[in-house]
Amino acid sequence: MTENLVGIFLNSVFTGNILLAYFLGMCSFVAVSKNIDTAIGLGFAVIFVLSVTTPINWLIYHFLLAPGALHWIGLPHINLSFLKFIMFIAVIAAMVQAIEIIIDRFSAALYAGLGVFLPLIAVNCAILGTSLFMVERNHTFLESLIFGFGSGVGWMVAIISMAAIRIKLRYANPPYGMEGYGLTMIVTGLMAMAFMLFSGISF
Amino acid sequence: MFNQFENNLRRLFEKNSIHFSEGGRFYKFRPLFEAVETIFFTPAIPARRPPFVRDGIDLKRFMSIVLLALMPPLIFGIYNTGYQSQLAGGNDLNFFNIIISGLLTVMPLIIVSYAAGFFWEILFSIIRKHPISEGFLVTGLLFPMTLPPTVPLWQVAVGISFGVVIGKEVFGGTGRNIFNPALTARAFLFFAYPAKMSGDRVWVAVSNTASTAINAVSGATPLSVTTLASSFENIESMLQSAGFTLTTLFAGNYPGSVGGTSALCCLIGALVLIITGVASYRIIIGGVAGLLSTSFLLGIVSTAHLNPWTDINPLYHLAAGGFAFGIVYMATDPVSAPGTNTSKWFYGFFIGMLTVLIRVFNPAYPEGVMMAILFMNLFAPLFDFIEIRMRVSKRIPNV
Repeated sequence: MTENLVGIFLNSVFTGNILLAYFLGMCSFVAVSKNIDTAIGLGFAVIFVLSVTTPINWLIYHFLLAPGALHWIGLPHINLSFLKFIMFIAVIAAMVQAIEIIIDRFSAALYAGLGVFLPLIAVNCAILGTSLFMVERNHTFLESLIFGFGSGVGWMVAIISMAAIRIKLRYANPPYGMEGYGLTMIVTGLMAMAFMLFSGISF
Repeated sequence: MFNQFENNLRRLFEKNSIHFSEGGRFYKFRPLFEAVETIFFTPAIPARRPPFVRDGIDLKRFMSIVLLALMPPLIFGIYNTGYQSQLAGGNDLNFFNIIISGLLTVMPLIIVSYAAGFFWEILFSIIRKHPISEGFLVTGLLFPMTLPPTVPLWQVAVGISFGVVIGKEVFGGTGRNIFNPALTARAFLFFAYPAKMSGDRVWVAVSNTASTAINAVSGATPLSVTTLASSFENIESMLQSAGFTLTTLFAGNYPGSVGGTSALCCLIGALVLIITGVASYRIIIGGVAGLLSTSFLLGIVSTAHLNPWTDINPLYHLAAGGFAFGIVYMATDPVSAPGTNTSKWFYGFFIGMLTVLIRVFNPAYPEGVMMAILFMNLFAPLFDFIEIRMRVSKRIPNV
């Protein structure tokens, strides 16, 4: 049991890194990695949102949406799983609102640094992607909690190392047309290649 | 006589310099002229802005020392490639034949690598008007030395093109890249053409066979021979029965990549690099420490249902495969490694640790050191950032 949970955690951080193996959550990754402190802040925000929304979405899916989930109120033939996208998004949006209020209250500097990208976590594909993977992989409740947390940690590892690399990229002299985001995308591709180190390991 | 030659050469460069300076006919090709000139003479132009270095050593001399240190593994690599090829082909093992056969296999790889790489290097420096970098002399030699001897030549060209263009030139040339270009090229080939880069059948090149027409010979490397082990056996005796004793592994006389088999030759190279101060001893020692301690700890926790590699004597990890080559020549690349001193220890340590972990736990990659270094390249700027941040916070404010 514990071994399985540790495996899911390591798998979601390294082998199946949500960003560098599935390329989800790229937009805020590219946009917010300019400054390492902001990147750390957003990383923590993503970890928090992921480790809250994934278990909540698990509960919603398994007690309301999945085929036969409404068995407990005597409606075993109803299948509401077509509602899963809209329900997941609603939960994520609500959680992001909550986080925004909390960050605004406790750290004005971080709130200003994250700017528009904090509300944009709501449409960060990494968050929705994790919830959908959780459904697809038939995780249990505890597993979905660990999976959400691990995906967040993986995303944070990626964005922090990217932010540090971009300090070094300030000295780069890229060809015309490759400056800024172009070079960042190339570095992301090379990072993904380096992360393929873990592909093939099954924890 | 030598003096006269030198004077003539100097006159030749001075006479032609006018065509390559601003307004001259061949101004476009100035980088090319400069590259040739600085092979013979240190540039006479002094630095005009600080920081001034204490030393007369420039990038070209720095890189020549690396090239010099690469000679022992290269020469042994040529011998070993020839030896394995002659052995597999059933030819007689006289020294002369071995060297000829080794040269025939290895030299094309090096020539293609240099030709394709210099093409991109020169193209970029002419169009972007930056001087041709000597760093490529090292990259272009390191890359073929990490390849299996049977690799098709067009793959060498494709790989080095990717390494030079995507790994280095899009960042603006030497000194600005994030990842080691030679390793980028190697990893690219590894993932793009896995059939030609891994497995048992690529490590021995058979150039001319005595009797039958054999195209590829199955030559298991020490790191792949044990992945077939289904049950938990004594791995050391298994390696020995396959002909890989600790001495063989250390000397490097077994099938493997062109330059990476001999830990002994890499040790000689490491001494040269450390004494001249070109490579950081912190990275090398840190890497060896990481490798030994991780494999030692794995040996303690090893149980029957784990991979047999967990229970091996740590020295085998040190001697087998390309670890020595990687940690001495690849990990110490001053551009892609961290620049701060404490970070270098950690950087090396993690490379050693990851190498063992990949060798033991990832059946897809029997050779872990390449990917471990590439992976740590990714975190080198972060290590630097953390160390600088910690030093700044320790400093007593002077206001």
